[in-house]
Amino acid sequence: MEKRWGKKWALICLFLFNWARNVSSLSVTVSDMECVYEYVLYEGDTISGNFVVVDHDIFWSSDHPGIDFTVTSPGGNTVHSLKGTSGDKFEFKAPRSGMYKFCFHNPYSTPETIAFYIHVGHIPTDHDLAKDEHFNPINVKIAELREALESVTAEQKYLKARDTRHRHSKLLPFSAFALS
Amino acid sequence: MNKGMVFGGRAACFLPIILVLCLTRNSNILPVAEAIWLTIPSSGTKCVSEEIQSNVVVLGDYYVIDENNPDHIPTISARVILLPFQPNSPSGTREWRVRVWRASLGEGLGITMFDYNVIYLGLALLWVTSPFGNNLHHNENATHGQFAFTTSESGNYLACFWKDGSHQKDSELTLGVDWKTGIAAKDWESVAKKEKIEGVELVLRRLQGIVETIRGNLIYLRDREADMREVSEATNARVAWFSIMSLGVCIAVSVLQIWYLKRYFVKKKLI
Repeated sequence: MEKRWGKKWALICLFLFNWARNVSSLSVTVSDMECVYEYVLYEGDTISGNFVVVDHDIFWSSDHPGIDFTVTSPGGNTVHSLKGTSGDKFEFKAPRSGMYKFCFHNPYSTPETIAFYIHVGHIPTDHDLAKDEHFNPINVKIAELREALESVTAEQKYLKARDTRHRHSKLLPFSAFALS
Repeated sequence: MNKGMVFGGRAACFLPIILVLCLTRNSNILPVAEAIWLTIPSSGTKCVSEEIQSNVVVLGDYYVIDENNPDHIPTISARVILLPFQPNSPSGTREWRVRVWRASLGEGLGITMFDYNVIYLGLALLWVTSPFGNNLHHNENATHGQFAFTTSESGNYLACFWKDGSHQKDSELTLGVDWKTGIAAKDWESVAKKEKIEGVELVLRRLQGIVETIRGNLIYLRDREADMREVSEATNARVAWFSIMSLGVCIAVSVLQIWYLKRYFVKKKLI
């Protein structure tokens, strides 16, 4: 009896962790336009993330207008957009399931490196389980706890990327000065 | 289930693939269910990178499809390299990272980016490291590949994917990359089997792992902030000293000028 209960839990939890998706924070170099696609399985999932322009390549002045960021839903509508930023966080609820497109547009020709992190979080509801399994509220609480921990991790990745950016932009003139 | 209405018809061919991948996540058919998807442009190169500390497990899966020609099975070459850097050098003042772009006219204009580490050795001597550090994974002519390694040093890890020469010039390939580092790369099934835990205990063990990662990240961020603050304070002191010194030099020079001119005019009996 105990073993079967344990196995059912394992199955439920494996399904739980299948649907809470996570992507490591990657960097891409954007010369003109770079798009990243992410598949969202459930309508109503919360898509959260952040991005930072790590290599603000103008070391001595900051004339660069920033990067434009747009999120396009599978139907072609723009769900979220940010213009002229050097890094920001975003969070929105997915209006439908499908392939979402996250695009970075660089208005200048100087390539910029952008570190981004995208997380698709899903809280299970009783529609997710098969008919013969009954819904256990502890699954919801565990999923919410996992989402909260993911948001802390996302925040830390954002801080780390921003720190890298400041280090690249400030340590260079400082070091030239210190050498003199 | 509306399979047809997906963005631009793009996923119409690979939506069923993704569904299969997600439902059979624990099998080894094509383990890129959690991947992000990128496009390899017509010029042929796409690179993703991440700055990773030492002693971190990195797992990668990549898979390429050609959605414009579903019958065509494309192949790419992949390479994972390490570009070393020194994030916490105490001086912070004698090492630079220099980025160089090289343009090449092959099949169209391609621009490749190289990072060099430049270290100041004193007496106007500079030491430049080679652009390609250690080669951690190399694969040619593959549709699907995997790599796994544990980082031995901290640095910028770059995974680059090239189109092989045997493609039509204008086709854009879709690349799925599943890149996992640290706690996300841990194999929980083997932990469950080895320690014979399952269910809620396994879930809570995973959450504990995440919490420990959070704590490690926090300590790392705190240390980096301390370094930055030290450099800022040192520079602040130097700026203050430099400005006072230059002001003093200006005042001394002006006093000297006044004294000299006065002496000159007195000598020439003009005053």
